[in-house]
Amino acid sequence: MLWYKAWRESQARFLLSGGTIAGLCVAFVVFHRESALVADHAQTYAEYIWRIVYKGYLRELFVLLALLLGVGGLLRERDYGTAPFTLALPVSRWRLIVVRAAVGIFEVTILSFLPAVVLPTLSPLVGEVYPWSQAWQFGLLWSIGGAFLFAIGFFASIFFAGEYTAAVVAVLAMLTYSVAVEFPVVERYVPDVHDLMSGVGRPYFRPDTYRLMGPLPWTTLGGLLFLVGSSFVLAARLTERQDF
Amino acid sequence: MLWYKVWQESRTRFAIAVVVLAGFCLLATLVHRKLGPLGSGGVTSRIHDLIYSGTAKGTFAVLSIFLGLGGLVRERARRTLTFTLALPVTRLQLIRTQIGVGLLQLALLSLIPVSLLPPLSQLVHEPFPLSNTLHYSLLWFVCSSFIFAVAYLLSAIFEGEYTAAVLCYILLMLQALLASWRPLRPYRLNLMWTMAEASRMPWNRLLMLALLTAAVFALAAWRTQKQDF
Repeated sequence: MLWYKAWRESQARFLLSGGTIAGLCVAFVVFHRESALVADHAQTYAEYIWRIVYKGYLRELFVLLALLLGVGGLLRERDYGTAPFTLALPVSRWRLIVVRAAVGIFEVTILSFLPAVVLPTLSPLVGEVYPWSQAWQFGLLWSIGGAFLFAIGFFASIFFAGEYTAAVVAVLAMLTYSVAVEFPVVERYVPDVHDLMSGVGRPYFRPDTYRLMGPLPWTTLGGLLFLVGSSFVLAARLTERQDF
Repeated sequence: MLWYKVWQESRTRFAIAVVVLAGFCLLATLVHRKLGPLGSGGVTSRIHDLIYSGTAKGTFAVLSIFLGLGGLVRERARRTLTFTLALPVTRLQLIRTQIGVGLLQLALLSLIPVSLLPPLSQLVHEPFPLSNTLHYSLLWFVCSSFIFAVAYLLSAIFEGEYTAAVLCYILLMLQALLASWRPLRPYRLNLMWTMAEASRMPWNRLLMLALLTAAVFALAAWRTQKQDF
């Protein structure tokens, strides 16, 4: 029941996001020959897909969608006057938070792997090939990067109750992070999730073939997952102490 | 009183936007050296890269979406609608006030770089001309007004708290994608490009955008007046 409640709350955002990502992937593949009409130079299919999906438009779209999937929760419910009903359910606040986080992470993971399913499936229909291994590896990078962005939105909604305030704060936290990791001093110690997701400047990405080569950065991915998990635990602890 | 009500509803978002844009101006002028070595263009090019053609511009566009959200449909979800509708004013007056406050906030936000960049750039001995900041402020205001109008219309249609925001952002990305299609490229339809137009003021495009903005506001007003709450 709790799962259904969490799903219902984010359903519209998720379906809209999923429909857009899938629709754009289909359009990018079907109209790939038109890429010459968009690009400044001749591109291989792998370069085209990387530029438009994994580095460009679709990734930028995914970043904000993942962030917005994270906002919501009990503080917003207080504003709607539904918090007393939710809190009266025979479950702990801890469980409410965990279920909402789990549903959100599940949704982000599905969004991350949508291009991984659509691109290799449709490419043969237009006489091209996009390797499943590439698509799934990017899907994995996106799902963990997306989970990090989701956690930013999730965490912001633990503190900010005002309408859209949590979303605005989450967007700004993400932008601050994006600018901060551009500083050479910070860049050395903090991973840039945007580059992690696109592979730009990373040893596991070959810019000449526009493909992922070699092992993925498991340590960084593990560290990010740990950070995401810790932020959920902290969010649950803070929610337990909040006065509604 | 209505103006105060609308201001109260959006002031947190507006205050955050002010802080962020001011932060970007400080970063581009006073702390820019930490971002790495300067190119041949010096501070002027750093300001252009970070503010007028970079992250600050994108941030401002996204903030315009959030400033445009709200309206009577959202009040229904918060159960405050009956109080608002019971006020001795017409729905049109309510809408006019929301649009008025929103546009005023956008105008003030657009003027933040005007008030900060010239004096701050003087401090680092590389003055950034006031005329340039005014040029960009006008572009930012007109383009963000259109984004604001679309967000306002969408939040008059969709009840979900973030549905309008998500949809508006998707539309913003789609127009950018469509505008980069070569047959359409000469018309420079991408709002992000227009916001960063450096060479000369694209008066025709601005006029078109202003007319479109007015049309979208009219559509939102019509939709709200017809709605059964």
